[in-house]
Amino acid sequence: MKALILGVDGQDGSFLTELLLEKGYQVFGWIPSSIPVKFDNIQHLLPLISLSQGNFSDQASLEATLEQVQPDEIYNLASPSSPAASWDSTVYVGDIAGLGVARLLEAIRTVSPRAKFYQASTSELFGNPPESPQNEETPFRPRNPYGISKLYAHWLTVRYREQFGLFTVSGILYNHESPRRGLEFVTRKITHTAAQIKLGMARGIRLGNLEARRDWGYAINYVKAMWQMLQQEHPEDYVIGTGVTHSVREFCQLAFAHLDLDYRDYIYQDPDLFRPEENHELVADYSKAAEKLNWHPEISFDQLVRIMVDADLMLLLEKQK
Amino acid sequence: MKKALITGITGQDGSYLAELLLSKGYEVHGLIRRASTFNTQRIDHLYRDPHNGEQVHLHLHYGDLANTGNLTDLIYHIQPEEIYHLAAQSHVRVSFDLPEYTADVTGLGTTRILEAIRKSGIQIRFYQASSSEMFGAAKPPQNENTIFEPRSPYAAAKAYAYWMTRNYRQGYGVFACNGILFNHESPRRGETFVTRKITRAVAAIVAGKQQKIYLGNLDAKRDWGYAPDYIAAMWKILQHEKPDDFVIGTGETHSVREFLEEAFNYVGLDWHKHVEIDSRYFRPTEVDILQADARHAFEILGWEPRVFFKDLVRIMVDADMEMIGLQSPGEGQRIIQKHHGDWHRWEDQVPHG
Repeated sequence: MKALILGVDGQDGSFLTELLLEKGYQVFGWIPSSIPVKFDNIQHLLPLISLSQGNFSDQASLEATLEQVQPDEIYNLASPSSPAASWDSTVYVGDIAGLGVARLLEAIRTVSPRAKFYQASTSELFGNPPESPQNEETPFRPRNPYGISKLYAHWLTVRYREQFGLFTVSGILYNHESPRRGLEFVTRKITHTAAQIKLGMARGIRLGNLEARRDWGYAINYVKAMWQMLQQEHPEDYVIGTGVTHSVREFCQLAFAHLDLDYRDYIYQDPDLFRPEENHELVADYSKAAEKLNWHPEISFDQLVRIMVDADLMLLLEKQK
Repeated sequence: MKKALITGITGQDGSYLAELLLSKGYEVHGLIRRASTFNTQRIDHLYRDPHNGEQVHLHLHYGDLANTGNLTDLIYHIQPEEIYHLAAQSHVRVSFDLPEYTADVTGLGTTRILEAIRKSGIQIRFYQASSSEMFGAAKPPQNENTIFEPRSPYAAAKAYAYWMTRNYRQGYGVFACNGILFNHESPRRGETFVTRKITRAVAAIVAGKQQKIYLGNLDAKRDWGYAPDYIAAMWKILQHEKPDDFVIGTGETHSVREFLEEAFNYVGLDWHKHVEIDSRYFRPTEVDILQADARHAFEILGWEPRVFFKDLVRIMVDADMEMIGLQSPGEGQRIIQKHHGDWHRWEDQVPHG
């Protein structure tokens, strides 16, 4: 089996590569040629996979990759992923996260119509939802350009399934974290800085709203759900999350406590980092995935925080050597 | 003098809107695409040659929705108070063949304009031409709270643009509004749209130039209104004190079959003898029933449709008959005089020369 992973360099791409290699897949990674890529997450995997480059603005480059790889499964994890930053580059985000998927689907229809396709959708589709928790039937009300572009990509994914009979699925994943999460995301920012503080490399941390609540899961569990969706008899969309929310404050408290520190001594609240809060919280009702995929979150919130803190501590100690 | 910029000014809606705004004393600027053939016939009667020393209130600019810089420059130089964004790849069936182009123009084109407005720092009111196609499979009747279930690349791109318009309003405070217009037709409707295709065929059959017309799904039901009525709604949406989204439609729904019946009966013909079904015109995924619940617009804007289904068909058949050089039954002209005595006249319907 051959799998093509677009966005192989990211958190999810690297974990998915490991999962698929373990299952005996031949893995082809795709990275964008238009922006600089960091190989931190996949350095250890580079000898085991083939890499190709391409451009989401250029359908012909996507077609060329498909022709060359002839994949059985395609995972599209490549996208600008910061909702807040999407306000600064609305056209660019629409072009890559939205229109890019239109080009990719059209390339698949033309070149690899029998390949199975996974589109990385996100809880940002729900944005400011009318109900809580959310499942596959909840109406979408995106509240930033990132969520809107992802919603367009979701609709196109559904359309190509219903219209052309392609095996396309959209996985609506809630926040999922790990030691490979980018440092710009709040969870990793906390665990990395907490570890720095512990080692005397930092004095404090600036955060936005500590009361903001998120449904946080462990990325390794989530890439397994991606793979499972493509192994089903029929292509369908699934919501994936833990069904539980925790506040940024709780995250801080656990992370610092794990290092025998009191978070209250190190946090500075910065109103600039506040995001407007939703009326209903974003929390997953993953009962469909539980029933049809037998998927369940496997790691508790406490464990997730400790895994991330330990990894950051190790990373920093390695660097110090 | 108020200034307005219209994208898509050469289309059905753009041309009527230009007439309405000129009649209200606006200076009107239109964005047109460079193409190898001139496609301005719907606005030629509005054009005044500055070389003749006439007062010129209509200005045309070359522009491209795929180009952000060009839009920013235009908006900065024109400094319009109002922008009506009507340009799109608007053919639903064609969007299945051209999904990327449709998304770039119909979807991202809106974001480029919103971004240009934000960067200009000018207080501009923005009208986004949203479409009932966004509702897709949603149960009728549809209103502002109905959940979108887009069934075509066109509808998905329009829904993207709808959400961007709302987000620029809520996130940046831009006076940005969505008019969610149900199907609206007129003698200026593009010739590949089913209503116009039918009324043109009726005229050609009466003239003995054609025998058959080939159509797709006759059971699709639409809420068809008269375009000039809907143009008035667009203007009202931007004059309202606060930005908001509005559904615009007649509240009635009729099938393509009923349209055929009405059009052929009007000239004393039996449609069964002239219509053939061609599966190529079926959409891969069809939208079955669209029907507007436009109470929000009735109540807040005081807008209501004046021309309904039967009258609409008559206006369109009459105009197509006159364009082909036939004597029409003449109901259409009477209907327009009765309902639209002001800015909208029968004489402008039929291109002259």
